[in-house]
Amino acid sequence: MELVKKGAEADIYTSIWNNFKTIMKIRKPKNYRNPTLDKNLRKQRTIRESQTLMEVKSFGIPTPLVYFVNLRDSSIIMQRIPGKPIHDLPNSKIISLSRQMGNHVGLLHKNGIMHGDLTTSNFILFQDKVYVIDFGLSQKTIKPEDHAVDLRLIKEILNSAHASIMEESWKNFLSGYRNVVGSTTYSKIIKLVSEIESRGRYATVV
Amino acid sequence: MIGLGIESTAHTFSCAVIEKKGKKGKILSDVRKIYRPPEGEGIHPREASRHHIENSSIVLSDCLREAKITIKDLDLVSYAAGPGLGPCLRVGAVVARSLASYYKIPIYPVNHAIGHIELGKLLTGAKNPLVLLVSGGHTMLLAFLNKQWRVFGETLDITLGQLLDQFGRSMGFASPCGKNIEELAQKSSKYFTLPYSVKGNDVSFSGLLSSTKSIIKKNKADACFSLQETAFAMISEAVERALSFTRKKELLIVGGVAANKRLSEMLKDVCKRHNSKFFVAPQRFAGDCGSQICWTGLLESQVKSGVSLEETFVTQSWRLDTVKINY
Repeated sequence: MELVKKGAEADIYTSIWNNFKTIMKIRKPKNYRNPTLDKNLRKQRTIRESQTLMEVKSFGIPTPLVYFVNLRDSSIIMQRIPGKPIHDLPNSKIISLSRQMGNHVGLLHKNGIMHGDLTTSNFILFQDKVYVIDFGLSQKTIKPEDHAVDLRLIKEILNSAHASIMEESWKNFLSGYRNVVGSTTYSKIIKLVSEIESRGRYATVV
Repeated sequence: MIGLGIESTAHTFSCAVIEKKGKKGKILSDVRKIYRPPEGEGIHPREASRHHIENSSIVLSDCLREAKITIKDLDLVSYAAGPGLGPCLRVGAVVARSLASYYKIPIYPVNHAIGHIELGKLLTGAKNPLVLLVSGGHTMLLAFLNKQWRVFGETLDITLGQLLDQFGRSMGFASPCGKNIEELAQKSSKYFTLPYSVKGNDVSFSGLLSSTKSIIKKNKADACFSLQETAFAMISEAVERALSFTRKKELLIVGGVAANKRLSEMLKDVCKRHNSKFFVAPQRFAGDCGSQICWTGLLESQVKSGVSLEETFVTQSWRLDTVKINY
């Protein structure tokens, strides 16, 4: 096993599982966190992630296959997607792929799932398909407010990490999103996004 | 170059003198008077501004005397123009304008939050950090990109400082209550499960506040302990996410809550995991102070020659991610 990424939440290793090329995502205990809290979070997120990865496949979101879940050490063994995170692609590519990202997010929301951690690192381009990963913070929810929180987060990421192409990619993202959820829902969610933003600190100039 | 900085955004009225040589800055003096509301109450903007007015001349003259300079030695004066409480901000602005117009000193309006970051960088030597700004007014994760500080995560409702203050006040402490809570929390190690709300790089504290209030009756120390453990774990997770996303190799904590030892301890562990260097602003300069305003004014003077009196302003809401930084 080789460590490929030390993520915020979990460590990712490449591994082989029954001759499949896999990765192992393990949520190791965190010393800084209270042990009770740590145990709850790790277990809950491992369950949530493995379940959601499977569930969203049923309505057409490309995700890695889950092969094995071990709750004792909070690890998941899943299919290795040897693509590149959208975050690392050239700007022009990010702009054009934003539509597909929006599409996927729309599909998730339409089926009552909030991703919870929408960043450009959690979409992977592989063989012209955009895979969605990292469902540890996902929630089953049909509340428009929750869906709006999702959109606000990806907007924040585009605004910070991809500031120079923010406008174009956000436009594409939204158009992909609208195509799936329909314009009535779309307008409602967008209104909520502005509402959440206006609740932010010092958002309105007085 | 010698600058005077005036801070009056919230409960602190402070003046500071810094001498800048090249990229180095030396704090010659930093004098403050802090408005203390009655126990169990928060800042009353009018009362705070009254406190600032009454103390402004003493603080200013003490600050100059300690620095062993006179007003004539000043090359510029800067003041905190926002964000903050309107009545308080106006006091600092009035003092700065008076000095500027009477003594013909160039004047610089400065963003208070940028001040926290710039002073933190000066005092710790952090070069290109991910910044965690935690205070009564802010809870934000920031990184510098294309001449602006960009927000990589923030609170969706109340700030960490407000969480601690509002909780502390409900137990009868006077704001700021961070220290009281920290001391009480050290007496307990019993953890109650509380709402934990991290949304990507963002956090939300309002649910946590209500829930913790409801366990005060059981045991105050346990409530403080559980609140700190939960809230700081949320912040630490957001920091971890932002560190891994931005791939920064330095973390700098600034703002009033940076003084909390438990928070520092947790974030040190986070940095160790991510091989990042950990910087925290020295306790005396973590919270609001004149130095942060003075140093930012001095930095701005590298590219700007001050503004005219008509252009001076105060604004209660002034997000730091809208400020262009050209120095």
